[in-house]
Amino acid sequence: MPSGTARAGTARGLQRVPARNHEEPRSTPPKRRRRRKIKYQLFSLGEGLDMPLFVFIMVLLAIGLVMLFSASYADSYYRENNSYYYIVRQGGFAIAGVIAMLFISAFDYHNFHRLTLPIAGVTILMLLAVLLFGRVLHIKEIAPAEGEAVRWLNIGPVQFQPSEVAKFAIILMFADMISRWEDRMDQFMFGVLPFGVVLGVFALLVFLENHMSGTLIIGMLGAMMMFVGGTKPRWLVLGALVLLGLLVLYMTRGGGEDGGPYQMGRIEVWLDPLEENDATWQTRQSLYAIGSGGLFGVGLGQSRQKYMYLPAPQNDFIFAVVCEELGLVGALVIMILFALLVWRGVHISLHAKDKFGMMLGLGMTLQIGLQAALNICVVTNTVPNTGISLPFFSYGGTSLLMLLGEMGILLNISRSANVEKT
Amino acid sequence: MAKGTTEKIRKKALGLMYALLIAGFGAAAISLVHWQLVEGEQLKSAAMEQSLRSTGLPAMRGTIYDATGTKVLAQSASVWTVVLEPHYLSDNDNLRRIVANGLSEILGLDAMDLYERTGEAGSYYDVVERKVETEVRDRIVELMNQNEISNGIRLIPDYKRYYPYGTVASNVLGFTGNDNNGLGGLELYYEEELSGSAGRLVAAKNAFGTDMPFEYEQIVEAQDGYDLVLTIDETVQSVLEKYLQEGIEKFMIKNGAVAVMMDVDTGGILGLATHPNFDPNDPLTIQDQNLLKEIEKLPEGDERKEAVANAQYTQWRNKGVSDLYYPGSVYKMCTGSMGIEEGVITEESLYTCKGYEKIEGMKDSIHCWNHDGHGTTTFREGLCNSCNPWFMYIAGELGADVFCRYREAFGFEDSTGIDLPGEADSLLHAREDMGEVELKIEAFGQNFSITPIQMITASAAVANGGYLVRPHVVDRIVDKEGNIVKSADKSYRRQVISESTSATLCDILRQNVASGTARGGYVSGYRVCGKTGTSEKVDKHNQDLIKDPNARMTYIASYCGFAPAEDPKYALLVFFDEPDDLNNGGYTAGNAIAGPIFSAIMQELLPYLGVEVMYSEDEYDEQRDTVSPSVAGKTLEEALEEIEEAGLEYDIVGSEESHKKVTEQIPEGGASVPKDGKVVLYTSGYDVNNTMTQVPDFFQMDLANAVFEAAMNDLQVTINGSRDDDAVVMLQGIEPGEKVKKGTVITLTFGSKVNTDVSVILD
Repeated sequence: MPSGTARAGTARGLQRVPARNHEEPRSTPPKRRRRRKIKYQLFSLGEGLDMPLFVFIMVLLAIGLVMLFSASYADSYYRENNSYYYIVRQGGFAIAGVIAMLFISAFDYHNFHRLTLPIAGVTILMLLAVLLFGRVLHIKEIAPAEGEAVRWLNIGPVQFQPSEVAKFAIILMFADMISRWEDRMDQFMFGVLPFGVVLGVFALLVFLENHMSGTLIIGMLGAMMMFVGGTKPRWLVLGALVLLGLLVLYMTRGGGEDGGPYQMGRIEVWLDPLEENDATWQTRQSLYAIGSGGLFGVGLGQSRQKYMYLPAPQNDFIFAVVCEELGLVGALVIMILFALLVWRGVHISLHAKDKFGMMLGLGMTLQIGLQAALNICVVTNTVPNTGISLPFFSYGGTSLLMLLGEMGILLNISRSANVEKT
Repeated sequence: MAKGTTEKIRKKALGLMYALLIAGFGAAAISLVHWQLVEGEQLKSAAMEQSLRSTGLPAMRGTIYDATGTKVLAQSASVWTVVLEPHYLSDNDNLRRIVANGLSEILGLDAMDLYERTGEAGSYYDVVERKVETEVRDRIVELMNQNEISNGIRLIPDYKRYYPYGTVASNVLGFTGNDNNGLGGLELYYEEELSGSAGRLVAAKNAFGTDMPFEYEQIVEAQDGYDLVLTIDETVQSVLEKYLQEGIEKFMIKNGAVAVMMDVDTGGILGLATHPNFDPNDPLTIQDQNLLKEIEKLPEGDERKEAVANAQYTQWRNKGVSDLYYPGSVYKMCTGSMGIEEGVITEESLYTCKGYEKIEGMKDSIHCWNHDGHGTTTFREGLCNSCNPWFMYIAGELGADVFCRYREAFGFEDSTGIDLPGEADSLLHAREDMGEVELKIEAFGQNFSITPIQMITASAAVANGGYLVRPHVVDRIVDKEGNIVKSADKSYRRQVISESTSATLCDILRQNVASGTARGGYVSGYRVCGKTGTSEKVDKHNQDLIKDPNARMTYIASYCGFAPAEDPKYALLVFFDEPDDLNNGGYTAGNAIAGPIFSAIMQELLPYLGVEVMYSEDEYDEQRDTVSPSVAGKTLEEALEEIEEAGLEYDIVGSEESHKKVTEQIPEGGASVPKDGKVVLYTSGYDVNNTMTQVPDFFQMDLANAVFEAAMNDLQVTINGSRDDDAVVMLQGIEPGEKVKKGTVITLTFGSKVNTDVSVILD
């Protein structure tokens, strides 16, 4: 909680100390004006963005880029004949993303109220397009399949992952809905049914892309937002039980390679990750990498496991390379950075000017926290492998742009939030 | 916003956040601690294990030098293994064609096959050709550079063994296999010293199996092998092999032959020639052309394969150390030494040979080779006659205990320890099985088997004052800087007989060559000692008799001697296994077959070894050689004066004006010329074509005919070998048909057919 200390009081002109709910410090300068009410203006610089959040984002992004370069170096060299293939692209996305973030941070988040339905609609259309071109028409040029999954959409030269957008769309929709019906959230007709329908549609569409982790994230994010928003927990428990049942059915369905349950293999790998067979390869190599790191790591750039042992080390398992090169210490530092980011995001959200900002900020912050935690748990074989990317680290343009865009919104929320800006 | 709602939300949100951070990150952190700190080392080594590949770096095998230290008998040179890495080629059809056509042209392989092989996407290692020489490698490198191929073809360094002298000393040297490992002879015996230690390149490999581009490389340098310097002298070895080959052809030897020369004081082997032999550069090829023809007649199949394998095995064997034989009468020098040493006889002791001898417990009597008997002779005469009853008598006087003690002392019961693989153990009657019969038959060298190397070692002891030396072929092992790592043990094992006994035996054996039964080994201009042996292969005969009651006895003809007689330095044992006497003109005896070979070898090698010419008083005057004065470059007048002074004749080719300079002389100054021979002097203005003559074939000519034939062809002769009346030319120093300058001296070695010493005939 910011208190009107001398330091805050001598803040530069652009910064304003919020007046609401606060005792005026004695040393408050006389020039201080009443906080302007800004509503629905296109750009809002508000009272300046939250510097700690911005620093956490940039530090994580910087470390993420360095680690992506290191992790992708060998794989990129051998597969693309160019060690810089991934870092150049990701670097480009990062620059574009940061510019977008800064731009969005000045873009009043209340505008998203009006953008909610268009964004949700376009997302659903894109998800449908993926399914249409990928699953029904099998036009590889537009929706290429990647193993069992079809989650890409080629729009001209740009490759796009609508499921990444879907995560944001659900956050946005729920934030909008919760802020509208905040007093009726405990009613089934408001607090459960519409949410259930929206969540069901998105989750189903992403699920049909065979994007398990996306489905999981969307489902969990939705549930978390509903929980915070005021939906009665019993409905959530009920929903969770139903989903669990469906999950068990899905996991135990036949059609696996050995005729056994298809998804059970992941569980078997999880239970015995060091058993030497093809199924355990990715997890086993990840653990070899982590184990090789020890306390202080083998040194930046010195990973052996990235030399084609760890499949696609620039993607979901980039954290294994982090553990190998930077050791337990480096891994914990990064986890702490993520925790700080989450803490700062939650802090900003809780002090947002209104419920929409609060729910939007919470949703996006929880998304980052959830993805980071799940990713690290997968990499360390704490949970079964589902294939979740690590925010700011894993290679992927859509994901990074969406993340930085979301951070822009969060920063914008911070401008008007009742938090001490340093 | 209502305050209550906000507070609720705050609580829920913070609760969620903490749950997420604690459950998610906390669990992950615990996992990390587990995997990185608890299981860390284990995982790390598993990771290392899968990524570290070590490649052997071949060590260069040591060089084998002959005794001169300059002639290289075996050497390794860098070669290359050409390996395809199809993985890097398979997806580029143009590249595949370039590689396939390029390698096909350079290596002479099938381009289509290479093209197919470049298509194996999953393969990283496909050996195309081994042991490719540097110039071929350079062409491949050029091909790679021209087409900018960095991956896809690999050239892995290796070594290949070369034997510059081909078959020379092959059975001593042995050969190496594909992996540069010794498979026979010295290459096998000194494998550890020669091979050095291979280095290792430990490199981290990526999951594709290729090197990671940087870091993680650890090289343990290869330690090159040590060099061997042999006691074997290439010149000596070549001379032994030349005459062995000649003997085999002349006397139609069916079962191989051995000639071994030893320094009697150190035990160093100067030459060890065996037949059949092989070319270590190409050990699988059968060298014996006759045998090869016979094998090729066999139908394709197992029988032929077996015949080839047998022939290979036989030609790789070192008959000198791995084959056993009855030493025959050569052994009498040992039995005689025992008698003198023990004092049971002196050289003047008398014994009467009736031509046969009865042994108690044996139905038939044993005959002397001279069925009429040698009558009463001294021991000196008995040895020179190679009289069997004389030695049966000595053995009887010695008794089995003493005989066996000496037998052991002479080294016949143990292997000699020569540094060659596969030394055979001798087959002797054990003391407790040795009755009167066995004792007395062993006395003249029959019915027990030893190796040639044991025989020459024992003879060296007779020659050198009674000391049993350690035979060896490696004089020293040196490292690459020339430091001696190990030297041969040149000490003697024990003294077997006294110096005086040795001296007595030497003198008798010298006389044996001069006028006894070993006359066939007479060496013109040198005083040599020798003993002949004609062993009957009784054991083989007995087996043959089972199959064919009319089977003939087969023989081993051997000759063992040493020179110079006054202070023996070099011992030489020559033996031929199974002369085909039905076809070779009836030659079976050691004196007739091995004698001339011994003589020719000694005649050629003693000057090389620096043994001075010395005529014995009982040599015929006309056989003495003199030395040609060196007159080239002098005026004709001066030259004629010097030649007359030396008691030689002369011929002048070209201008005969006395002031003309002599441009050339045959024989050259310092070369030996027969007494009363001539020196051909070349001045100037002569027809070069008119100065050459062709060497005729002297084989089987008697002395008179040979001298006449030589004179007809403007050649001069040195007479060597047997001077018996029936002696005929066995060997000639220059091959028939060769063109030489007129006046050239040719050495003719005579041999006699007289069968002086067939050891035993069991009626």
